[in-house]
Amino acid sequence: MVVDELDALREKFEGCTALAFADLSTKMILVTDSSSNLRREALDALCEEAALLLGANGKPALADKPSDMASVASTSQLRVFLRAEHEPNDVLCCICGPKMDADKFVADACACLDRISSGE
Amino acid sequence: MSELNALAQKLAVLSAREIVDQTGARMISEGGSPAPVAAILREVDDTVLERCLAFTCGNATIQIIAAGRRMRGILSVSPKSDADVIGQVLSREEPDMVQAAADLLEELCGKAENMTVRSLPPQPFGKGGERGISADGLAELWGVALAEVDTGPKPPMEQFLTVNAPAFSSLLHICNGEIVSTAGDFAALQTIWSTQVEAFRKAHKKTLRGEEGAQLICLDSAFDDGHSAALALYEDHVALIAYEAERFGAIQASWQRIFT
Repeated sequence: MVVDELDALREKFEGCTALAFADLSTKMILVTDSSSNLRREALDALCEEAALLLGANGKPALADKPSDMASVASTSQLRVFLRAEHEPNDVLCCICGPKMDADKFVADACACLDRISSGE
Repeated sequence: MSELNALAQKLAVLSAREIVDQTGARMISEGGSPAPVAAILREVDDTVLERCLAFTCGNATIQIIAAGRRMRGILSVSPKSDADVIGQVLSREEPDMVQAAADLLEELCGKAENMTVRSLPPQPFGKGGERGISADGLAELWGVALAEVDTGPKPPMEQFLTVNAPAFSSLLHICNGEIVSTAGDFAALQTIWSTQVEAFRKAHKKTLRGEEGAQLICLDSAFDDGHSAALALYEDHVALIAYEAERFGAIQASWQRIFT
């Protein structure tokens, strides 16, 4: 179950506050972790941000080519956006607190997304 | 250094923002500033009660026994070394030993990008009457500019860019439309600045729902040559950066330390 994967990732990282699995082709959030209490408008904004940063329709946000991983660090949050390796429209949107081991989180989040995307 | 100057510097250090890394150790040198050996001597100079100071940079650790603002000696190092100076109390009467200590520190951490310190309980070292050499005295003997202490923190964006400079392949730093600094081959960044940044920021702002302030936006492997792109925003400052993808975690960690 997708939600179980998301819950397990969120549980592993204390600073993680919300996870959402989305489809970039329709720009829709499909599933969130079970503890997430984001409102619909917030989820839509998160998905829009993912589409912009990961370069929906092949258009890069900045520079030469669309990224498979993007992040936005502010003073209050770290948001991470990941694209599945084999399904370019499958993306994971992550909201974390500002203090997070980014390398470790991204590695685990990538593995989580690939499991979800491949239907393991 | 006069006593009043010394006191003023200590107060400045105490009032400065404490930078602690992810393991809880205190960061005392970032991006090679201050120079690691100078940073070690400054820690010794701040140590009154006897302590074992454990310095870490990369894979190297150095344990130094300090007391009374003096360095008594090097207790141990890792990777292991058979240098004779280890375990010896430093004395002005043995200049070769003092120089060997300088050489060992330089070898282990002279080129370190970052260095942290932990203050640990003292360990048995030398004889009670052997006091070692003051930090000021060692700075003089080793030709280290201990007095060149930043009495105030740099502006956040400057601090961030300085600390991470080794990870950048190119940089374009702009404030109020004027170029503040550049590094590397920044032609591609100038093109991005003039053709993409404004539209990107406008589109991104729509997704933020009012969230403003400092932001670091990272796009993994966004350049054709494999480098990643970053856009750092703080007040009127905009920095466009091309960086090595594997440095993502370190860049994020320094952003967190400086801006959150």
